[in-house]
Parts: sequence; C-alpha cells; structure tokens
Amino acid sequence: MPREAEPSINDRAFLLQALQENIRLDGRALDAYRHLDISFGDDYGVADVRLGKTRILTRISASITAPRPDRKFDGIFTITTELSPLASPAFESGRQSDLETHLSRILETSLRRSQALSTESLCLVAGQKVWALRADIHVLDYDGGLIDACCLSTLTALRHYRIPDTSVKGGDLTVYTSLERDPVPLALLHHPVCVTLNFFESGEKWLVDATLMEQQCSEGEIVVAANPQGEVCLVQKGGGGEVDALVLLRCVEVAMGKVRELGKAMDGALAKDAKRRDKGGMSRELRAENER
Amino acid sequence: MPFTITLPAPLSPLHHNEPSDSPSLDSDGDTDMPPPSKRPKLSTRSIVTPGETVTDDPQWMRGHGTYTHPTSPQILSSVAGTLLKTNKLLSIRPLRARYTPEIGDLVVGRVVEVQTKRWKVDLSAPLLAHLPLSAINLPGGILRKRTSTDELAIRTFFGEGDLLVAEVQSVYQDGAASLHTRSLKYGKLRNGVFLSVSGTGGGGGGVVRSRRQVWTVQTANGGGEVDVVLGVNGYIWICKHVGGELVEGKGGRHAGAGMGVNNLEEKVGEGMYENRNESIGEETRWEIARLSGCVRALVEGGCRVDEEMVMRAYEASVEDEGVGGEEGEEGGEYLGGERGRRVVREALRAVHAARE
Amino acid sequence: MPLDTSTYHLALLRLDGRRWNELRRLHAQISTQASADGSSYLEMGNTKVICTIAGPAEVRGAARREGAERDNAVVTVEIGIAGFSGVDRRRGGGGGGKGRGDKRTTEMQNTIASAFQSTLFTHLYPHSTITISLHILSQDGSLLAACLNAATLALIDAGVPMSDYIVACTSGLTPPKSGTESADPLLDLNGMEEQELPWLTVGTLGAGERVSVLVLESRVQVGRLEGMLAVGVDGCKQVREILDGVVRRQGKRVLESVIS
Repeated sequence: MPREAEPSINDRAFLLQALQENIRLDGRALDAYRHLDISFGDDYGVADVRLGKTRILTRISASITAPRPDRKFDGIFTITTELSPLASPAFESGRQSDLETHLSRILETSLRRSQALSTESLCLVAGQKVWALRADIHVLDYDGGLIDACCLSTLTALRHYRIPDTSVKGGDLTVYTSLERDPVPLALLHHPVCVTLNFFESGEKWLVDATLMEQQCSEGEIVVAANPQGEVCLVQKGGGGEVDALVLLRCVEVAMGKVRELGKAMDGALAKDAKRRDKGGMSRELRAENER
Repeated sequence: MPFTITLPAPLSPLHHNEPSDSPSLDSDGDTDMPPPSKRPKLSTRSIVTPGETVTDDPQWMRGHGTYTHPTSPQILSSVAGTLLKTNKLLSIRPLRARYTPEIGDLVVGRVVEVQTKRWKVDLSAPLLAHLPLSAINLPGGILRKRTSTDELAIRTFFGEGDLLVAEVQSVYQDGAASLHTRSLKYGKLRNGVFLSVSGTGGGGGGVVRSRRQVWTVQTANGGGEVDVVLGVNGYIWICKHVGGELVEGKGGRHAGAGMGVNNLEEKVGEGMYENRNESIGEETRWEIARLSGCVRALVEGGCRVDEEMVMRAYEASVEDEGVGGEEGEEGGEYLGGERGRRVVREALRAVHAARE
Repeated sequence: MPLDTSTYHLALLRLDGRRWNELRRLHAQISTQASADGSSYLEMGNTKVICTIAGPAEVRGAARREGAERDNAVVTVEIGIAGFSGVDRRRGGGGGGKGRGDKRTTEMQNTIASAFQSTLFTHLYPHSTITISLHILSQDGSLLAACLNAATLALIDAGVPMSDYIVACTSGLTPPKSGTESADPLLDLNGMEEQELPWLTVGTLGAGERVSVLVLESRVQVGRLEGMLAVGVDGCKQVREILDGVVRRQGKRVLESVIS
C-alpha cells in the first residue's frame, strides 16, 4: 500500500515550533478555516466544495427500486466515497483503505444515522417502490480536511438536489419529468456538519481544519458533527494522544461555533445559486410561451 | 537520607520493608534488603501496576519497566510486576513477558527462514534472531574457512523448521540477537522432544538463567542417559544422550558441559547436521516423556525450571510411580492434574530440605 | 423492538435495577490462554470478550514492507464476533471471524489500535508487531468499552510496557422527564438501553481526566455532553480500580506459587 510521504524531521520540528508560538505555516489563526468555496454544477445535486487545496465533488442521483424486505417504508440512501490516485498518490483505487473506512463511517453516522435525510420520505409505494438515493463523493484534490469537506459537500449537494415529483393514484406511480412538474427538494430534517480538530503539545493545543502536513504532525484528532441548532450527532476521538476532558468539551464548543459558520456559508452559497437558477427559470417560461 | 516510596493504600501492609527513614538503604550494608543480585527473592515482594508511582525521590535512577514524565521527578511503573532495586537503580520485573535476548544466553531456537548467508531463528523473542553462516561449525574440519560452496549448500546445514541450540553472541541495537554455534555443545537438535514454556522475560515460573542449562540425567528404569537442554528463552529440548561413544562421523551435539565455547580443537563430525534420529529404546522414550512431564508440571505449578528443580521433580515422579500406579489408572504415566501437583510439591519439599 | 424507558423517573431505577451511577458486574481474569503471550477474559454484564496478544513479534509476510522501516512496534487489532454473540445469529461472522469487513468492526479495530499505539511504549520494540485479537462471545452493550478493557488487561499480562491502563465505559442519557427539560446521565449502558438512549463511549488513560477515546454516535444537545462525559470519566475511574484489583490478585497468586 502506498503511503503518504512523511514530513521530514526538520519540517516537523519547524511546524511544531511555530505552533508553540501560535503561528500556523499558512498564517491562519488557530481556529480559522481555509478559504471555503462552494459552487454548483448545471444539474441539481452537484456540489463542488473547495477548502484550501482540498476539492470534493459530490453528485446525488436517484433511481427507483424495491425496498429492502425488512424495511418496507424506508427508502435507500447510500454514500460512496471515491479516493482515487487522482487526489493523492497515497490513495489507491480498488482497495478500501483505513482512511476510506473512517470517512465513510463518519459520513454514515453524521448524515444517515442522525436522520438528517428522512428515509421514510423516499418511500413511494410501501413495500414495492422506493427512491434509492445515492451520493457519490469524489475527492479531486487532497490537502487535509477531508472529512469536513466531504460532509459539507454531501450535505450541500443533498440540499441542492431536486428529486422528480411523483404521484400515486390507485397503486399507479407516475414520475413527472422536470418539464411536467418542477422537481421537489429532499426532506432534510436537520443539517449536520463535521468539524475536525487536531491536537498538539500533548493535548494542550488544538487546530481547526488542519492541512495535510499539520494532520501528519498532530497527536490525534477529534471529529465533531453537529447541526446549527446545537445538537451534536457525532463525536469521535478514536485513540491518538490523550486529551483532558475539559479541553475536549471546549473543543466541542469551538466546533459548534464553526458548524454555525459553515452552515451560514452553505446557506449563502445555496441562496446565491437559487437566485441564479431563478433567472433561468424565468427565461424558460418565456421560451415556453414563445413556442405556444 | 529521607525518601519515600508511595504505595497504594490497600496493599501497603503487604509491601516489604518500607521504613521511610531507613538509613540502611543507601549504604552498602543494608540489612533488610537482600543483596542486589540478578535473581531477587520474588515471593517477599508486592506488585506494582502500570501507571503507579513508584517513587518521587530524585535520587533513584529508572531502569526497565519504569518511565518518567519530563516535567516531574516521579518514577512510574509501566508494567505489572515486582520492584527490583539494584543499588540506586529501580526497575520492575514484569510478571510475564516475552524473552529478551542477552549476550551469553544459551537458547534453543527454530529456523524459520533460510537466507543466502544466514538463518533467521525464532527464539520467541520480539524479533527473529540471526545465525550467520560464519557462526556455525562447518563439517569436515577445524577452523575451516567459509566458502561459496557452503553458501550454496546452506540448506544442508539447517533448513526451515530445524531446531538448534546456540548461544547469543551479540545483540543488535533493535534488540535482535545474533547467535553462534561454534562449539560442540551447540548445533542441531535431534533424538528428542521439544517443549515450549515461558522464558526468562517475566518473574513468574519458567526457565531461569542458571549456572547449568545443559546436563545429562542418569535415568531410572533402565532408560539410559538423557540430555536436558533448557534454553533461557523457554524452549526446552530433552533427548537421548549419544555422547558416550564419540564415534567418528557420529558427532552430534553431545560433548560434556565443561567444553569451552571456542574450543575448536575438537572434531566436528560429519554427522553434525544429520537429519535422522538414532534408534531410541522404549525405556529411554519413557524417561524422556517423564522428564518432559516433570517440566510441564513445574511450569503449571508456577515454579522456576532449572537443573535442581527438574532433577528433584524427576526423582519425585519416579518415587510417585509406586504410590499412584497401584490404582491402575488410565494413563498412569501422565504427569498432569493432581499427580503433577503432588510431584511438584514433593520436589519443592526436597529442595527446601536440601537447603537446610 | 421499542423499549419503555419512561418509567425510570418513577423509582429512579433502571430496567436491570441499577441506579444511574452503578456499573454492571465487571468480572475479569488474566492469563487465561496459556499459548498466547498475554490473554484476558472480561465480562461487563452480559458482554463477554476474550482477548489474546501475540507479540511483540517480528513482522512477517506481506505486512513486512509496510512496517519495515518503522522504529516503533505496530499495533494491529483483529476483532472476531462470534455468530452466537447477539440475539440474532449472524451469518458469516462466526468463529475466527473471516467474514469481517463490517465497517463498524473495522472502525472499532482502528480505534483500539490507535489508542494503544500511543499508550504502549512501542519504541522499545522496533520492527515488530503487537497483535491484539479480540473475540466477542456475547454482546450486550458497551462493546467498544469492553474490548478496550480486555485489551488493556491482556497487554499487561503480556508484559508490554504502557504508561497507564486504558479503561473505558459508556454513559448515556435518560429520556427527558415529561414536562421538563432535565435528563439524567446514566453509567454503563446495557444493550437495550443502548438502542433506545443517546450514549457515548469514553476511554481514559488511568484514573485522571485524560481522555483517549471518545465516541458518540447519537443525537444529543451539546449542553448535555458535559454531564455525560463527567459520568463516563467517573465510571472509568471505577473500572480502573476493578481492573487494577484483577492484576494485583493475579500478581499475588503468581508470587505465592513461585518458590525460588
């Protein structure tokens, strides 16, 4: 398995020394995110999130299938992550690495288990037909902050996605195309966002949104997923260096602040896109009239 | 000189001498402590567990099994075991641990890998040991130089799975051992059985480093002479003694214990790396089995395994034969369960009697 | 299967009769498997785990290339969940657990490996691996916690140096009392409570407040976290005392039986 090149001893020492003086190598504050840029594709449900150099593209797609026999009233929602060599030479395609397991598990917990997307709403005909929603996450470039960016990207794509409208009459299911009826947004119950913090100096100092190198030099990390309403959906500190319990609580608090910040950025980007599309909608209507 | 050793409250009565004002401890003539030696009396000591503060007095130096925080002078324990003081050095001997090689150890090992110029030998240590081709006695003569032909024929000396007895010649930086078999005492093992018990790493039962690790037993019941090789790594070999008739070409490892490590005057027989066993009589096989049963019983009973204990246990088991055998129980020779415990008890009594 | 936990507030007793801050029966033994370098058997209520340690031993085969240039020992964890361990028999997960690949198990393996990687003194054993094999015989909640505790005991038995015990337990939150916002924290959840209530696993290093593992996977108000964590850390302290007692008893037994 190819591994990420370890930073040299001098590199590491330099970074840690700078951190002791509360300086990050890219000049950010200790609790600042890198520049976040959220853009959307032409289709609904395509979100492209750039966090510094990290770039994640998520695409949502839906199809109709039969539900699982033990869960007749629930739609199916799957998240797949693609860590290809495109993003980093350390990623290998075709084999699930530890990082990938970790990532998909966190996404599952924060988005699926926390019921961010109500799977009941994806049910069309109980026991027969449900929507199978699929989120494909592609990592296009990797420089740390993978979990945060992936979670943000997936959630943004979900919020952006419009699922075709349907109606059921006497057991007959009709799916309308986007020309017949405007597709509808998904029923999202809340909007959980992940924030990762990395620890340094035997748990005394923490950083928000570490770059790849900071991540490699750190002693451990904690992932917090929460929604802007102040509900925590996931806290995960899997081993690594030990941290004082009070510091952990403080970290969760900081993460909550960041969650609100990220939530706002996401809201802003979605609103901007909606406005852009609204214009397009007008022109389409106009065109339709012309045809008539 | 005042110093304290903080202890967990519930166990303090168990702990050995802890007079915080005892002046004897930092002088050579300490009275209550056994003299610092490689083998302390363990039974009088109590247990420390990981994370426990052993002392916060800066006068002590930390040894194996302990650690310190860079900020405080406290010495903490990192293993569960017994405290061991050697002058000013505090170390903790774990209750049980893997064997760590030391120079001069007599070990029994198993070849797991054959490389071009060396063998990799499993000693049940953290790392495999090396046995370079240059560190074995080559057949056909004394002080013969290693040639490229020998390299090609490396598998004719030792192959994968072969057992050997060797001495630790040096220990590398990372703790791996380098072995040698440059003595007639060492070499390939055959004509016997292999036993694996816990080695010298921990403080519990198992093989301990002692004066003699290889000796010949004159067995009862007409079993003839049987060799016992106690590798300090916990691997044991018990085999028929074939040294008596040092016939040309029938060399093997069987010379007396008095031979020097570098005594290369002796002939290295052609049969040294022979892979076939000799014919072993039924009586001998019984006695080999009995000896291995004794060793197993000793280990089960948590006793140390050395020459004295093995011999006492062996004698006890021979005597026990008459007592326990009359019931005609199934597997009457089997030294397990109650019978094993009886033998161990008997052996311990004999050892104590001999001491007094 | 929905479970009625709302009666808690009537008598302040939980379904199994415990109060909020009581652990289940924690029973452990060490040195259970003679052939392993270290081993332990641990019961936390009805969750039962056997742990065996192999190593530190030299890296062999395919794993060698990865670990070859390491100056530290590598800790690897294998978890086998017995097919009969749960209420429903699980297919493909039995015995040695070849049929793993379950993400939850993989995540647990990674968590345990990472926790011990930083607590064990791995620098003493360069180029080697320490393999922790956990066999889950019965599950009834607090699985990760039980695995961590069992692994700690087995590693102590194996004589691998570590800076302190890693001890873990779970803590949860009662359903809010009707009409009020208050919810009490609970210690050491069993399987049924785990399905119903929000809960977290906390693993600390020693008896202090140094948290090594913290896993929360249910939705909970951020303000409640502090209470849950405090109860969990306090539970870890109790667990450490119990485990320490187990080690000391074993040590005493060994010392008594050894006559040198």
